[in-house]
Amino acid sequence: MTLILTKDIDTPGLTGIDVYEKTMGGYQSLKKAFSHTPEEVVEMVKASGLRGRGGAGFPTGLKWSFLAKDVFPRYLACNADESEPGTCKDRELMEKNPHMLIEGMILCSYACRINTAYCYIRGEFRHIQRIFDKAVEEAYAKGYLGKNILGSGFDLEMHSHLGAGAYICGEESALLSSLEGCRGEPRLKPPFPAVEGLYSKPTIVNNVETLCVVPFIVNEGPEAHAALGTEKSKGTKLVSVSGHVNKPGNYEVVMGTPTSEIINKHAGGIRNGNKLKAFIPGGSSVPMLPADKADVPYDYESLMEAGSMLGSGALIVMDDTTNVVAETLRLAYFYMHESCGKCTPCREGTRWMHQLLTQIDNGTGKPEQVELLNDICDNMSFKCFCPLGDAAVGPVASSIKYFRQDYEEILAGTKTGV
Amino acid sequence: MTTQTNTETVTLTIDGKTVTAPKGTVVVDAARTVNIEIPVFCYHEKLGPFGCCRMCLVEVEKMPKMATACTLTVAEGMVVRTNTDKVEKAQQGVLEFTLLNHPLDCPVCDKGGECPLQDNTFKFGPPETRMQFERFNRDKATPLSPVITIDRERCIACQRCTRYSDIIEKDQALVMLNRGFRNTVSTFNDRPYDTRFSGNVIDICPVGALTNTDFRFSARSWDLKNSQTTCGHCACNCNMILGARVNEMKRVTSQQNANDAVDDGWICDKGRWGYEFTRSKNRIAAPWQKGRTEPLDVPEAAEAVAGALKKIVEEHGPDAVGYIGSPFALNEELYLYQKLFRQGLGTNNIDHKTHADTPGLPVAHADMLDIESAGFLLVVASDPTEELPILELRIKKAVTRLNVPLVILNDQKTVLDRFAQTRVRYNVGTDASVLHALDRAIQGQGGAADAATGVSADQLSGLADRIKSAGKVVVVYNPAALTGNGAQVIKQLLKTIDAQDGVECRAMPAAPGTNAVGAMDMGILPGFYPGGLPLNDAATIKERFGEETPLSPGASALEMIEKAAKGEIKALVVHRCNPVVDFPDGKKVKEALAKLKLLVVHDILHTETSGMADFLLPSNGPGFDEGTTTSVGGRVQLRTRGLHTETPQDVRILTRVLKALEVEANYKDATDVLKEIAEKIPAYSGITRKAIRKTGQNRETIHAAGGSAVEPQNAGTNGEGLTLRVTDVLFRHDKVLDAESPLAHQFQQSTVQMHPDDAEALGLKDGARVRVTANGAFVEARVAVSGKCNPGSVVMPRVSDEQNLNHLLTPGALARVTITPQG
Repeated sequence: MTLILTKDIDTPGLTGIDVYEKTMGGYQSLKKAFSHTPEEVVEMVKASGLRGRGGAGFPTGLKWSFLAKDVFPRYLACNADESEPGTCKDRELMEKNPHMLIEGMILCSYACRINTAYCYIRGEFRHIQRIFDKAVEEAYAKGYLGKNILGSGFDLEMHSHLGAGAYICGEESALLSSLEGCRGEPRLKPPFPAVEGLYSKPTIVNNVETLCVVPFIVNEGPEAHAALGTEKSKGTKLVSVSGHVNKPGNYEVVMGTPTSEIINKHAGGIRNGNKLKAFIPGGSSVPMLPADKADVPYDYESLMEAGSMLGSGALIVMDDTTNVVAETLRLAYFYMHESCGKCTPCREGTRWMHQLLTQIDNGTGKPEQVELLNDICDNMSFKCFCPLGDAAVGPVASSIKYFRQDYEEILAGTKTGV
Repeated sequence: MTTQTNTETVTLTIDGKTVTAPKGTVVVDAARTVNIEIPVFCYHEKLGPFGCCRMCLVEVEKMPKMATACTLTVAEGMVVRTNTDKVEKAQQGVLEFTLLNHPLDCPVCDKGGECPLQDNTFKFGPPETRMQFERFNRDKATPLSPVITIDRERCIACQRCTRYSDIIEKDQALVMLNRGFRNTVSTFNDRPYDTRFSGNVIDICPVGALTNTDFRFSARSWDLKNSQTTCGHCACNCNMILGARVNEMKRVTSQQNANDAVDDGWICDKGRWGYEFTRSKNRIAAPWQKGRTEPLDVPEAAEAVAGALKKIVEEHGPDAVGYIGSPFALNEELYLYQKLFRQGLGTNNIDHKTHADTPGLPVAHADMLDIESAGFLLVVASDPTEELPILELRIKKAVTRLNVPLVILNDQKTVLDRFAQTRVRYNVGTDASVLHALDRAIQGQGGAADAATGVSADQLSGLADRIKSAGKVVVVYNPAALTGNGAQVIKQLLKTIDAQDGVECRAMPAAPGTNAVGAMDMGILPGFYPGGLPLNDAATIKERFGEETPLSPGASALEMIEKAAKGEIKALVVHRCNPVVDFPDGKKVKEALAKLKLLVVHDILHTETSGMADFLLPSNGPGFDEGTTTSVGGRVQLRTRGLHTETPQDVRILTRVLKALEVEANYKDATDVLKEIAEKIPAYSGITRKAIRKTGQNRETIHAAGGSAVEPQNAGTNGEGLTLRVTDVLFRHDKVLDAESPLAHQFQQSTVQMHPDDAEALGLKDGARVRVTANGAFVEARVAVSGKCNPGSVVMPRVSDEQNLNHLLTPGALARVTITPQG
């Protein structure tokens, strides 16, 4: 199998620039890119079919071409605020291969005529910031960053910024607010960041994994990337498998691989020989699916069709010992805790849902509360300011949809459990 | 050029109604024009779209999700629905969320009865709550400042107040703290939120979270008699609502419908909390005569005053009497007073100010909207923050939201400096030279300004170049802060700017007094009749004001004091003015007034001057009076009364005095006087009570009488030492803002701002107690070492009446002070 992201990732010393250059042909793509015009590089990324790996799956090349024309300076903000429960792919990429990210950021900056790039790193990833900063220093020393990179005339300054521990700052506009030193709250769109982003200038916000794919596209050609995957979901996806599997971890799979294959083949199957009960295919923000949908191909379209989303690619697996209500309560707590409080439905709704779920879970709930929960979900979904509100609805609404029985059993006092 | 109004329109449908609205309008506002109400909490038209409360969700054809009508701009052919089941469900849902943790203390809440949350709940809310949990308890009454109390339980986190602080005040003093349902409105480090405009957050708060500490629990909103009136503090003349209960002033609020030409919907904190004087014990309640124990009635007093004045004119000639008015009185009162002295007593001894200025402009009078559309905004010698606060907000708006370039020419550092592209700091007292040099630079006759100015030739030529290519130049200047013949030189400069190819110049003379512009217009000047008519235009004067009217120049206010000291003037009428405290050399003023045979003081409150009077006449003043004022932008507005008094209006008293002097005076009320003003002053010809009733109307520009070129003359100095610049502060501890004022926390101590070089030379440290001496008098102060002014001068703000700062000053010259440390 061709691997893009995790190829040679376990090579000892890969975080050092010499090893990166030697084993992976690191930074070779820069010369190739500089022999093309920036617009041609954008076209290559478009042709590769690469889509955003942060959660929304927006075509990357198209995003790059949306930048407001002739407005400078422009910025790149790499979204390394990986905080989605279940997701740990960017963390591994940055911990083990920071230069691939830097190379991707340079390519993106060149293609978009950006001279200042930021990497917004999750507050808890202080150790990763150190790795990243060291790698940036090495890249400067080798002339891959700074003035007139490799004689191309292209300049790029790169900085890292550590967040302060807010999930909302993974939302691109909140990330930009936070990067500016303001309160991390999502901004009104439009204007989209590509038009008015960081410091009100055109800005590209891309996920770590997305940017890490770009060197491959430039090196091997867009066709090599487009050859992988399904018709609309190209390339590979780094899936973080967690939960009741024997071998939790990050696995890079070609788009369209059946989900059951990821669970059973890559992640070593369900623990203790138990049966699959439910899975959340794309991180806590997407609806959970029942076991009978486990064969759904792991790509953007198929998961959408199945009633969920690929999201950030965090596959959370639950076996048949799971109390879905308890699981939902835990996620509801997360969203209540992380709601920024800007919009009413999310601020109030997440707390109310948590109150109701707590009552249901501890056995003092009332049957009508399930319908109330459903209605709160309806009053929140697509009515909040940013996707966090919808994300908070995802686990609650889907748990009721597929596992109402769990709720009823708990309310009837016939079920307890973790 | 930046223009605010967009003339392009689009047509859309809202609930089947066709709406045409300018491009860029948000759907909420477009719907309002066809009487469709889309409920909002966070949206405020002056703050722009935000979209956090989610109350305004609507359905739009071809949009998959519901949209917030406050963030959605209108588009051609857009089809919006606000009354579908889906919208209704969404509105009920959002209101349920909003009310989830909102306390049900409406029965004791100040906002009750005028609360958008109540109103929206009644109109759009769910019939009952499904919340079964205890509400989230938070801090109740918590002071944000001595005048604002926040109830954090009631807050619905709409962020109107924090956005106001950020977008309008440009301070970011109020911010959101914490996250999720724990988020809260607060300040950095719990510092008090005590800006000059803090009170507006009370008005824009859509719930009872931000409350007026002074008003808290003192009346229900529906029990208030709300009068739409204008503020009587500074020359901004902001529109406001005076809420009274049982004829007592309870609160002042800004107007719901902003008067964009005046205040943009905001008032300052002095406007909001500076009306305690309406219920002050220090008010002059009734006419009074020295030596009498019982008050006089009004007709009796009017006749007595008229008789006493007449007697002095008969004995000593008309120039033995004089009138010192003030920029705080209404146009009608001022007009009648000049009529009284000119037609009744035959003298031009009429004035209202201590600085040198002449009426009229050689260019068009700029209003507030001109500031927004300026291609270049030049602020000269003006400190709007302290003098005309709402003008400051407008300038901030122009600079930060409409990209108007701001250039400041001043001898002191001001708050607005941080918004200016260029700041030119000249030495105190050299404004005439600087303005003249700029004039020459624009005309291409460069060369450095006088070295004494501290301004380089490059700075001026840079400004000149920009002015020449600016298109529309708006100049805001404070004539009261200009020295020497600066007020004349600046008019020449305005003319020069206006004469440049492709440049249109407009000017705003921004003296701080409430009706400073009106007082000039009404001819409260020794050398000019109403409408800026100079004495040498005898034909016109006679035609308008009669054959008998005096044509010889009168004495200015300062000259009148001098003449009183010499015994040449025997009688003075002092109207809404306190020369003992406000005129230079207060001790001499007092001595001069003591020599008078007759001193009539006509004022609202007892003052140092009124204490010396032979006759006291009561003036109604803001709150009780009714008439017009002319704002800094030349807008004539009606100030209506919000409170009732038995004391007749000033105009009625004056009518009686006029009649006693056998001058034609058939005025029932101020409206009749306004009619005569409109007849006698061409610039006021369109001003009728009806025309100005709602939002006022700009009077025409009064054109300056033609003058020949003047050479700059800087003010002379008196004494030795550092040159003293006296500045105004908004919250001055005087008769109007007395010790019982809710704004007492804003009072400042006596300070002398010194340049670090001067402080070092004198061995003075920041905070040192000093004695500032000049003119044989001294003022105690604390040193503030700052870059407030250039070396060689000091700045002292006039912080209170008791400071006696005027004792250091002498008329017509800049004081030099010596500073000695005190133990």
